[in-house]
Amino acid sequence: MAFFFQNVVNALQWGSFYALIALGYSMVYGVLMLFNFAHGDIFMTGAYIGFFVATLFVGLSASGILVLPNWLILILTILLSMFLTSFVGMAVERIAYRPLRNAPRASAAITGLMVGIILETGNLALLGARRQKFPELIVSQTYDIGGVSVTNTKIMIVLVSIGLMVALHQFVRRTKWGMAMRAMAYDFVVVPLMGVSINLIAALTFGLGSALASAAGILFGIAYPVLDPYMGILFGWKAFVAAILGGRGSILGAALAGFLLGFIEIFVATIFPSTLRDLIAYSIILVILTFRPHGFFGEPYSAQLRL
Amino acid sequence: MTVVSETIEKRRSFWSIVRDWWLQYFSEVPLLAWLVGALVAAILEMLVGNPFARLIGMPRGPVLFGFLIVLKTPVLIPPAILYNIVIYALPVLLVARLIGGLSNKLAAWLFQRSVMLSTIAHLTLMYVALHVWAGFNDYRVLVVKLILLAIMVTLSLNVVNGYMGEFSCSHPGFMALGAYTASILSILFFVDDSTFGPALLPPAIGQFAFPIILIISGAVSSIGALLVAVPSFRTRGDYLAIISLAFTFIVKSLIENMEIVGGPRGLRGQPDWATLPVVFVWTMICVWVINNYVRSTFGKTMNAVRDGEMAANAMTINTRRTKMVTFLFAAFWAGVAGGLLAHVLRYVNPGSFGIQKLAEVLAMVYFGGLNSVVGSIVGAVGFNLLSEALRPLELYKWIIIPIMIILIMIYRPTGLIAFTEFDVKKLIQPRNKKDREA
Amino acid sequence: MALLEVKDMTHYFGGLRAVYNYNLSIEKGEIRGLIGPNGAGKTTIFNLITGIYRPSEGSITLDGENIVGLQPYQIAAKGIGRTFQNLQLWRHMSVLDHVKLAQYAKIRYGLVGAFFGTPLRHRQEQEIEDRALELLELVGIRHLADQVVTNLPYGAQRRVEMARALATDPKILFLDEPTVGMNPEELKDMMEIIRQVHQELGLAIFLIEHRMKVVMDLCERIQTLVFGEVVAEGTPDEIRNNPVVIEAYLGKEIET
Repeated sequence: MAFFFQNVVNALQWGSFYALIALGYSMVYGVLMLFNFAHGDIFMTGAYIGFFVATLFVGLSASGILVLPNWLILILTILLSMFLTSFVGMAVERIAYRPLRNAPRASAAITGLMVGIILETGNLALLGARRQKFPELIVSQTYDIGGVSVTNTKIMIVLVSIGLMVALHQFVRRTKWGMAMRAMAYDFVVVPLMGVSINLIAALTFGLGSALASAAGILFGIAYPVLDPYMGILFGWKAFVAAILGGRGSILGAALAGFLLGFIEIFVATIFPSTLRDLIAYSIILVILTFRPHGFFGEPYSAQLRL
Repeated sequence: MTVVSETIEKRRSFWSIVRDWWLQYFSEVPLLAWLVGALVAAILEMLVGNPFARLIGMPRGPVLFGFLIVLKTPVLIPPAILYNIVIYALPVLLVARLIGGLSNKLAAWLFQRSVMLSTIAHLTLMYVALHVWAGFNDYRVLVVKLILLAIMVTLSLNVVNGYMGEFSCSHPGFMALGAYTASILSILFFVDDSTFGPALLPPAIGQFAFPIILIISGAVSSIGALLVAVPSFRTRGDYLAIISLAFTFIVKSLIENMEIVGGPRGLRGQPDWATLPVVFVWTMICVWVINNYVRSTFGKTMNAVRDGEMAANAMTINTRRTKMVTFLFAAFWAGVAGGLLAHVLRYVNPGSFGIQKLAEVLAMVYFGGLNSVVGSIVGAVGFNLLSEALRPLELYKWIIIPIMIILIMIYRPTGLIAFTEFDVKKLIQPRNKKDREA
Repeated sequence: MALLEVKDMTHYFGGLRAVYNYNLSIEKGEIRGLIGPNGAGKTTIFNLITGIYRPSEGSITLDGENIVGLQPYQIAAKGIGRTFQNLQLWRHMSVLDHVKLAQYAKIRYGLVGAFFGTPLRHRQEQEIEDRALELLELVGIRHLADQVVTNLPYGAQRRVEMARALATDPKILFLDEPTVGMNPEELKDMMEIIRQVHQELGLAIFLIEHRMKVVMDLCERIQTLVFGEVVAEGTPDEIRNNPVVIEAYLGKEIET
């Protein structure tokens, strides 16, 4: 039993990353009907931005210029990185997606893919192939609860992720901007006629998604403090699949599917050899999509490729 | 104001001079003459290429028109240009112009005999020229083989993504299936191997069994495609994109977990059967069959599926059948290309059939142009040449190529040469009026 | 026996009743009209008969053969050709290709022909092309055969749809507002084409139309649909003077 709960804890943490990234995919897909294939690499960029911000604060603290406690550095890092990464997302939208808004959607997917490659290579060119070590901001403490070992970082990661998801949900439900986003998801043609700027909403959607991806990147860096330029590929594509599994544009769906994917992967890895993880995870997803082609919370729709 | 208009006029007049010159001397030169010209240039290069290169200050004849050295040692740009002019451009132009009239008569004669005969004659000539040219340098042979395979893959993906307008991500998976099927079959039957045991059949007949092996590889890919097609074509929408993506990951992961084929380390020891002529013939068959398909009324139902499935259904078209047939057909060619690739490299590993491959294939399709055979050929050749040319930039290559593709997507969202029909007859017929009418 | 027979057809979208107890019987060579205000369910009836939706209840027979539950392409191949209210042309294709493709059911050369270009294929493609050009001649746009449809003016696009529907070799032709959005000139031409098609090919025609003039001139019998129910059926004169129809179109007179 303790073994089971141990894995539940691990899966919650692992799923948080997927869920946060999947939200970005899902929002862009829901609002603009686009696959943002660069999102995985935005996650990676966000993690690196987090790394630089954290290192800067730690350095300032150590040199005595601006002495801050670690918990404050963590909060500042997350907030500042989210803010900065949202601009990366908006830039990606501006460069790769906006010029192609009336082009075939597939072409926009290609530009997204290319921007992703540029981000990866750019990172590699700037920082070299050496992996970066994320500074340790929280001194890890392990609590033993009935045989289940829980670290304070795990609790923090899960809580922060859920907090961000709730915040996003509230934003989309309660604010004027959120309403505009939902309206746009509902009707791409008429809403702009109602005085809502497509460009603004598109930028907002990308910005929000990227900010969440950045948070995921920092949390990932805290849990597994090694960053490399290709970390976004694996995570990104898996989170993409999770977003689809959740249903088109559904925030709750994307979050749940992200956690589900985390659970599948962790449990597969404990029962089977870990090399089978991807195989079984994707097979399960394939089976689910075969029987629920619109995902958990998606509504049936018919998308025509605008070619 | 006047100055501006003058310069524009001057520029226009320059280009119009070039165009007029071209039209005057070369508009009536048929393809046949160009191919003979290319052959002559290739032979010339074989005979005097290296000495001439040394004479003008290059260590040896450039491998790919000097693309490779240009970025490494810019000093060599003038000699490279000179080399290209003297060895390639001048002989081709001269020969083409000289034999233009004669070759028109020959082309007309061939064309009258039968289109098939004429096409085969042209292809033979093209192959000979290519063979001589590639024979100049081993590296060229490899590049040419890889480009030919890229044409197959690009074209077969264009059938699904361009002609049918679905977004498929499963081509790396199909290639992997084909590559591994072909490798296992040829190693199992024709090679003494430690895992698969001694050869079951005499290795001498292997070369002749190779086409059968490739067809089986294609068929295995098609069976894989069935797994993707059945769930994804039930509903319209983006499901093909997701399911095919998952399929690619599953295939890759499956192979990584199969110890008998070497797992992530890969499989080596494929016999050296994928020679240049073999690859060339398969590529030409692929282009021919796909072009036949997309130009038939049967194949054009793909376009109807893309441009309006409901209307297609109301016009007696069985769209489900179209989607199935097309998808399996495309997968078949991806499988054949994969099988050939395994034998060209004589090594195959699952890592090379992942996202990277997908990005590359998609880039070639959208770079060249959707719904266009010529576009796919241009896309595959252009992308590969570009990729070879930028190789000296190492890492930065993967910044420049994506930027170029983004620019192409922005200014030509459906690719460079999109929505064209490829008519072989127009290509091989004589160019002057008299012979064409004859 | 009637060519097309619909009995007691009812259809629900979720809980919404779109069509109720619809009956129709069309003879060979008849022109039948279906009129009704916006949202009455006219196009839904077309979609139900042509197999895009499956009716919740009721039977549909074509030439005595049940067609409920068949796929749209099967129903089309059995002899129901149609046009669409909002043009459903294939944007990247030429006019000729449209009309050729609609003869899909005739193709016998199969995959072998499609892949390898057999003599049978060349013969059949030629036949299909000849037939397509004939039909384009009939609707008067043969000279536009090689144009891509998106470059054509609206009236010509309507004709392409017409030729395409005819190319499926229908026994009965469903026209969904064939004159919508046309100027008087185009309208006259289109009516002429419909008459011609009717006479030369001897087709039965089932027509949805908004313009009274068109229906009254063309049709022998007319049904009026209001909220999914037929409220009146009869000759143009009967319909014209039917108080229920007048009410549905013009509203009830306010009693003073």
